[in-house]
Amino acid sequence: MDTQDKLMADVTLDQARHLIKCLESGKVEEAREAIDGLSQIREASLFCEVGKLTRQLHEALSNFQLDNKLTGLAAQDIPDAQERLNYVIETTENAANKTMDSVEKCLPISENIKSTADELLNDWGKLYRRELKPGEFRKLAGRVETFLTSVSSDSSQLNGLLTEVMVAQDYQDLTGQVIRRVITLVQDVEENLVHLIKMFGSTEEYQKAQKQDVKHEGAEGPVIDKTREDVLTSQDDVDDLLSSLGF
Amino acid sequence: MKILIVDDFSTMRRIVKNLLRDLGFTNTQEADDGQTALPMLQAGDFDFLVTDWNMPGMQGIDLLKNVRSDPNLKDLPVLMVTAEAKREQIVEAAQAGVNGYIVKPFTAGTLKEKIDKIFERIEGS
Repeated sequence: MDTQDKLMADVTLDQARHLIKCLESGKVEEAREAIDGLSQIREASLFCEVGKLTRQLHEALSNFQLDNKLTGLAAQDIPDAQERLNYVIETTENAANKTMDSVEKCLPISENIKSTADELLNDWGKLYRRELKPGEFRKLAGRVETFLTSVSSDSSQLNGLLTEVMVAQDYQDLTGQVIRRVITLVQDVEENLVHLIKMFGSTEEYQKAQKQDVKHEGAEGPVIDKTREDVLTSQDDVDDLLSSLGF
Repeated sequence: MKILIVDDFSTMRRIVKNLLRDLGFTNTQEADDGQTALPMLQAGDFDFLVTDWNMPGMQGIDLLKNVRSDPNLKDLPVLMVTAEAKREQIVEAAQAGVNGYIVKPFTAGTLKEKIDKIFERIEGS
């Protein structure tokens, strides 16, 4: 009980004692006045309650405006997040292309090493089997030397290209940071929306909606939610389903 | 063997193209959605179609249905390579007459296995 309530109780008690005294001593007129006084107190406390509620509502509204980052979110953070996510698409695409550029440069080099090595190995076998004609050994020796020189320079080139592939993976760090910020923003938006629902909507419906199963229709890209039962998680599952359909 | 690769992401087209080349299929062309792909198929003498599902414009499933309803294309082998993995989608693709279905992310081995299987079946029939 706060001081105001206690004060009111004391006053009421005094008034009531006074009323009883009046009634006992037969002072009807005074007793009537005392009754009026009591009902006034009741009205006063009713007004007091209404006043309190009004103050609470006012505080809630101004609190809401204080916490309310929605304007900022809508005006700045969400457009910024769109830019950030576009940056993620661009950066990952660039990294994928850079990696494939390097790999496509590596492939003919390693293919060439393989085919030359296969040829030399074949002729090397002839040498062991004494199938080489007299002049051919000198030629083979020359080809081996050329090959070894080219393998050395090819390897340095492959090293350089593989380093490029490695460096191209720096997108993981950059996009990771950007995505983490967007996740924080999404959490912020969620908190503000929940707040908004608590103020102006129905919390009950919100809780009901949280438990509701969402119907997923049409193409939706990779599904991350592993608990979903309408989605197959591996190629083996897909193959099983198809073979059950007669594939 | 002339192959059309349809995907809205150029990197995925490039990966598929490189993997196909590795398997010995060097004659490939690319389109970025069904709308671009369909006239190419109708005009060109393609022997095989590899398509994604989720694309702007015309989606892969609609491209497949269009191919099957075109008298000149109805027998074209179609391999779907997609991240769409809902049971009902795979059933829909099967009913629409897809020849193979690969879910992303996939491996070079899976691509080879499915392509081999498709051609085995075609040669066997």
